[in-house]
Amino acid sequence: MKKKLISLLLCTVMAAAMLTGCGDETTSNSSSSANDTSSEASAESSVETDESTEEADSTEEAVTITLGIWPEDTLTEDIAVHEGYVATMAELHPNVTCVPAYYKYSTDTFMPMVESGNCPTIFESWFTEPQKLISQGAIADITDELEARGWLDAMNPSIRELLSDDNGRVYGIPRDGYALGLMLNVELFEEAGLVDEDGYPLYPKTWDELAETAKTIKEKTGFAGLCLLAKDNSGGWHFSNIAWCFGATLCTENADGTFTANLASDEAIAAMEYVKSLKWEYDVLTADPLNEDWGSGFTQLGTGGAAMYIGANDAVQQPTQVNGLALDKFAMCPIPEGPGGQYSLYGGTPYFFSKDATSAEINAALDYLEIMGKAPVATEAAVAGMKADAENKVAQGVPVLQRFPCWIAQDVLDAEAAVVEEYGNVDPKMFESYFEATASDGNLRLEEPGETQDMYAELTKVLQEVIINENADVAALMQQANDNYQAILDDKYPAE
Amino acid sequence: MKAAKVKKEKFRKRDLMGWLVMLPTLILFAFFVWEPLIENIRLSFCTTKMYEVTGFAGLKNYIAVVNDVDFMAAFKNTFAYTFWSLIIGFLVPIIMGILISETVRGKSLFRVGVYFPNIMPSLATIWIWSYFFLPGETGVLNIILGWFGIEPQVWLNNPKWTIPLIIITLTWKSAGSTALIYMANISGISPDLYEAATIDGASIMQRIRHITIPSITGIAKTMLIMQIISVFQILYEPMIFKNGGPNNASISLMMLMYRYGYRDYNVAKASALSVIVSLILIVLSGIYMKATAKRNDE
Amino acid sequence: MFFEKYKDKKDGVIRGYDIRSPKTKVIAVIIMLICILMVCICLFPAVWVFLASFKDIKEFTREVSILPEAFEWSRMAETWNAFKFTTYYKNSLIHVAGAMICAVVFNGLLAYGLGVLKPKGHKIALGLVMWSLLIPSIISIVPLFRNINNLGLSKSFIPLWFVYGANAFYVMLFKQFFEEIPKELTEAAKLDGCGVWRMFVSIMLPLSKPIIMVVAIFAVTAAWSDFLLPYLVLQQAKWPDNTTMETVMVKLFSFKDTPTDAVSVLRASFFAIIPPTIIFIIFQKQITDGAASGAVKG
Repeated sequence: MKKKLISLLLCTVMAAAMLTGCGDETTSNSSSSANDTSSEASAESSVETDESTEEADSTEEAVTITLGIWPEDTLTEDIAVHEGYVATMAELHPNVTCVPAYYKYSTDTFMPMVESGNCPTIFESWFTEPQKLISQGAIADITDELEARGWLDAMNPSIRELLSDDNGRVYGIPRDGYALGLMLNVELFEEAGLVDEDGYPLYPKTWDELAETAKTIKEKTGFAGLCLLAKDNSGGWHFSNIAWCFGATLCTENADGTFTANLASDEAIAAMEYVKSLKWEYDVLTADPLNEDWGSGFTQLGTGGAAMYIGANDAVQQPTQVNGLALDKFAMCPIPEGPGGQYSLYGGTPYFFSKDATSAEINAALDYLEIMGKAPVATEAAVAGMKADAENKVAQGVPVLQRFPCWIAQDVLDAEAAVVEEYGNVDPKMFESYFEATASDGNLRLEEPGETQDMYAELTKVLQEVIINENADVAALMQQANDNYQAILDDKYPAE
Repeated sequence: MKAAKVKKEKFRKRDLMGWLVMLPTLILFAFFVWEPLIENIRLSFCTTKMYEVTGFAGLKNYIAVVNDVDFMAAFKNTFAYTFWSLIIGFLVPIIMGILISETVRGKSLFRVGVYFPNIMPSLATIWIWSYFFLPGETGVLNIILGWFGIEPQVWLNNPKWTIPLIIITLTWKSAGSTALIYMANISGISPDLYEAATIDGASIMQRIRHITIPSITGIAKTMLIMQIISVFQILYEPMIFKNGGPNNASISLMMLMYRYGYRDYNVAKASALSVIVSLILIVLSGIYMKATAKRNDE
Repeated sequence: MFFEKYKDKKDGVIRGYDIRSPKTKVIAVIIMLICILMVCICLFPAVWVFLASFKDIKEFTREVSILPEAFEWSRMAETWNAFKFTTYYKNSLIHVAGAMICAVVFNGLLAYGLGVLKPKGHKIALGLVMWSLLIPSIISIVPLFRNINNLGLSKSFIPLWFVYGANAFYVMLFKQFFEEIPKELTEAAKLDGCGVWRMFVSIMLPLSKPIIMVVAIFAVTAAWSDFLLPYLVLQQAKWPDNTTMETVMVKLFSFKDTPTDAVSVLRASFFAIIPPTIIFIIFQKQITDGAASGAVKG
């Protein structure tokens, strides 16, 4: 009894200390942040003095950058390519020291890493992340650096908007653009007899055709026609593209800054009914779509577990290099057309910069991107970088394809096209329809506005339900998802 | 008079030495366990940007947690997890303990064998199980079913079975060590009790019911509470198996906390949920303390 | 033969004299079979991961079989080298060794204070330690990680070692053991004017070898399996020669975000379970006895 009393007492004391601590800590916190600003100010002033000395001898300022974009340990050939970039860097910018610091972005490591001050100067992320990272103050504002280099206007405007905050400040630059298409395992198409006389796959042009094609493949080969994702948010992500083709718009931004969820429209419900029919009417999906995520989808496609998969041109190494699909058995076609039209979801992989990086460090990292050939410049070094990259791809069995135009500088696009021409290791006809469709007007469509990841999460839950439950009431489920999502939106963007 | 005073002083010195011996470890406890727990409570009442506190939020974080679209699902699942962990996770080790106690040959092999899953790194076992549950013909469990001519199953997709299957994997891992504890208790039962019962004509089942079971009730109570507490720690299994699905059927409170903290970068909201879980655990721990205190008195 | 041994059976429900009846004989055989089945279930996943590691990705996703087509060790070696497992093993070894020392030294000292010296007010410390036994550390991982950063200890093994110095479970194991050491020994030492330290070194330590062994082994397997804190702390950490400091489990955990083919994950899982399996085979008796010795006697 006594023991219990004592521990109880102690708990109360601790709680009390904690509550008073709340006040204390906030004050000490503010004082420390005051310290921070003062130290920042002094840092700034020291930068200024650096700059003033820079006028005198511009090459002397030593800068060290950590490269989160360095390849993983296991990719020795890719590392060799980057070592080449570092050598070029040492030649052109001898004041810069490059430190490899492979970092694969993931949501559960990023914040701890930033907190511990270990964030690399430059790293790759996902296109879903910029708004979250910007609002948390986790990445650097690079508007001024880009402006000084004249890169701001070279950026594809819609991508630029994705990477900017409400005031138009820019926080990242695109590595690649991508547009979703339909990836095909030609082996399975051949097995099912779905090829024309020249051996090119007879790909489906509409969603109804897709269901039929998939059914033929399933019947003839025993393997799934389509790999549909329903494990995580990537399921909702793919679904939003399907829904557009059925004429749905899933979320709209209102004039007053609020958002309206629109998941329960007739078109969206029709799209979900279509997905349901793929499982219960046609039965053409992999054994368990609830087990499929972005990565496993490529495994299914690459190893012949499924004949079709929604994927984008920036991930072509996944079915081929990673999962062993032969280069001549891999093709891409556009997302099929639906009653509402034909759209391709469009985005890209961004580069971000550590919030602690100085202006000089950011500039050095941008120089490195130039050498990699990932910047909107077509200098000799940049072209050499593109060639090294393409050469490596050929050696690795990765298709060398034209990049999606994330920059709009014509000379860069021409240089890229020349490199693809020179190093092309795939039959362009296997990809022709995909690039044609995505180049047509109004085909590309950015992700829905609002809290997109939450919307995907809600849609994925519906996908899971319709796939496991033959009697699922699609309209009711979509209404529920709509209500949930609307609640999230109202919470984050309340009406004034 | 003087002697007593000296004795008292000596006492004090010994006390001081005692505390000095404990001090380094207590500092470690404070740093690694206690302070973070308290800090959690503080964060739950604040607004945060990354890890930095930006202001006072009152109960806002708690309201946000309770109103979260997934919270009710996770909360309800906790009951399902508890139910199944009582049916499977609690009973299996008792049965295992009784059965192994009855063997004479290979007993040490059985002891070692059933304990083995316990030393396997949990992460490796989660990966392995995720392949066991693969649907289609190539999933390991489906291959085994195939030997008996049973159709392949989609294991984790039936929302009714996701949680029981997760509990089975957890039980597979932990049951052996719990069974050993029961076995130690069973072997401590005096043979005289059984002899006396036999003379009274009790059958084997009757002996189990009237002698074995009552003798392990004390330890079983403790294990019961530990079992329930462990339910609140379930995180990686639903995350890696099905990411909380299908349609939230396996999402756990811990997983929700992980999402708030690491997917949404909302530290304050994660803290608020962890405080809620801590409170539940403290109540359960209180019951546990009471149960063990009683047992020690006996 | 089989039933002869039942005559010497000392514990359990079935007594030597029961075995005369044929019905009991059947029961005994059934129990034996069930126990064998249980051990098979417990060992099967480990055996399977070994077998499946020999498959290549196409064989794994398309073939309906448990046995691989061929036992090609070169495939294993390939994955081992590609993932640089030598480095991860080395790092895990460093992690485990330090964790083991911290676990024994610090928890042993605290238990010595709580169980033997019992300075005035030690019950407060005891109560706090008991409570922390029941709240999982993962709940406060966010603030803990902040603390570690504030001291500038991230990117090093130091916090990962010392966190094992604050483990309530190990303290309880030590304390129970110390309390069972006859009081006369410590009292006699006290009367001899033996100081706190001398008593520890000359009396407690020599007697404590078994429990030190148990805690050391527990700490080794626990540290080997540990991943969340190492995952956070060792991110971007490099040795001076620019090789990574990450451990085996950190690598295994990172697979959840990196699309890696299933076979590589399996091989990595296989590599991850080898060392604990070896330790378990060598120390099986100490481990099972330690686990059975009423790990949760309150």
